[in-house]
Amino acid sequence: MKTIVVITKDPLLTSIVNRFLKDSYNLVNFFSMQSSLDYIYNSIPDLMIIDIVTDDPMTVNILNEIKGDPIFGHLPVLAVFGDNFTVSDWDSMLIDDYVRRSFLEMELTVKVSLCLHRAERIVEVNPLTRLPGNIAINKQIQKRLDAGEVFALAYADLDYFKPYNDRYGFSRGDEVLKMLGRLILNTVKGKQPSGSFIGHIGGDDFVFIVDPENIEETAAAIIDNFTKIMLTFYDHEDRTKGCIESVDREGNKRTFPLIGISIGIVHNKFKKFSHYGEMAGAASEMKKYAKISGGHCLKVDKRHVEPDITQKA
Amino acid sequence: MDVQALRSQIEKIDTLPTIPGVLRKLLVVIENPKASLNEVGGFIANDPVLTSRVLKIVNSPIYGFPGRISSVSQALILLGLNVVKGMLLGVSVFEAMQKTMLGLWEHSLGCAITARILAQKKGLTEPEEVSVAALLHDIGKVVLGLKFPEEYKKIMAEAEDKGIFILEAEKKHFTISHAEAGAWIAQKWNFPRNLVEVIEYHHKPHLSNTVPVQTAIVHLSDIIVRAKCFGFAGDNFVPAVNSVAWQTLGLSETDLKETLSELEDSLSSAEDFLLSEA
Repeated sequence: MKTIVVITKDPLLTSIVNRFLKDSYNLVNFFSMQSSLDYIYNSIPDLMIIDIVTDDPMTVNILNEIKGDPIFGHLPVLAVFGDNFTVSDWDSMLIDDYVRRSFLEMELTVKVSLCLHRAERIVEVNPLTRLPGNIAINKQIQKRLDAGEVFALAYADLDYFKPYNDRYGFSRGDEVLKMLGRLILNTVKGKQPSGSFIGHIGGDDFVFIVDPENIEETAAAIIDNFTKIMLTFYDHEDRTKGCIESVDREGNKRTFPLIGISIGIVHNKFKKFSHYGEMAGAASEMKKYAKISGGHCLKVDKRHVEPDITQKA
Repeated sequence: MDVQALRSQIEKIDTLPTIPGVLRKLLVVIENPKASLNEVGGFIANDPVLTSRVLKIVNSPIYGFPGRISSVSQALILLGLNVVKGMLLGVSVFEAMQKTMLGLWEHSLGCAITARILAQKKGLTEPEEVSVAALLHDIGKVVLGLKFPEEYKKIMAEAEDKGIFILEAEKKHFTISHAEAGAWIAQKWNFPRNLVEVIEYHHKPHLSNTVPVQTAIVHLSDIIVRAKCFGFAGDNFVPAVNSVAWQTLGLSETDLKETLSELEDSLSSAEDFLLSEA
């Protein structure tokens, strides 16, 4: 059951809230913002309902401080406004939605469920590609494991991305990552429109999930598409040469191959995983094998069947 | 009108219309839920306006890699089927100059096919890039015809009466030609620099610095397709081949003969595409 913190001094409001919400939610009542803080800091609720009355700057100030902290920024806040109350500057009132007192009976239940739903819909995304980020990825894997779903997880990253960044600069490197995000997204959605998932861990690390029978074909298509498109992200001379000159980690001038992509794959068809970290780790290990084999390649974890652990694309 | 004013007028254009026959087929493509990216891509790559729309979207800053993509198949991989189908839903058709435009569509498609064959002959790594450039080389004529339909009709009449090239008549009237107009819109739409350069210099291939071979191929394709009387580029004559471009390509007689014979079949299927009913 979801927890809602309700902050009001008004017994009438408390009773209305209780009447409409107590059967569906775990309600925790406080008389003031100050008195709720200890609770909120120790266990983030799913929603806060706050009674905003005029001449109470303290409540709004504390609320703004809570919402200004990145850890609590996502906590949805539903304000209850008096009928004549207006806000001219939303930066000084960090709430997510409001309901007017005279509409409480009509709107409260719907507003509360919309606020909760909206908060769930907003997944944390990677700012560069807008694909789901780390936390969303872990949740996605765990959710599937908990539900006993059989699926394949692939871990992709680029080979020789650093020399590209060094040679062309970060903003050109970012272009490549944005391109790769779109490419993986559309290739995966093209092979399996429903039930698939694509996430961006960060940097040049991406993951995707499809059904085990689609995974190798999808990964091979990604490698193929990437190899073709990547060429156009090089300047003409490097494209013609087929390599780039840059400096290595020790600062020596060296020739590097063009960017490639390595993909490691695991699935839970035969081997059981219970924790997302375990499965992600196995995929990442497979990706290392792929890299050792020279990139532009995918490796599937088949250790459950035979001692021969890898398969070249 | 001075050149700056003309340029800003042209840069205001957001989208171009296509010809009615293509629109009819387009509905079939959109409504087919099983249409694959390849099929949709093949369809789009036959039409200069649809191709320009896809390239405009994929090269817009929204996706984060402006000016990088110059091939339809790559654009489709990066945009995805839903975005592309949504784009197709918004396509409109020419209301005026339909006959002229149909001729121009045939000419453009013929050039794209010729350029691809020549690019393969020259062993270029990206034949699709060259074929897209050829498909779009006369996009400036579409732009001028759309923005100034009455003037453009006069230009065509004048070219015919005086026996001059349409390029000359455009310059007399606008001080610039369709080549500049096309390059302006291509630049405005964040098309890759190589593509802009081919469009700008397809009548002056000797001025192309970065992509002389691609520009020469498109220049020669333009002339070959005119000489074969395929489509209508607006002129009743065939212009001369630029000598620098000819040297750049260094084609042998056998190369040319092979190209022409390969062209025969491809052109007739192109004609089928444009003239057949949906």
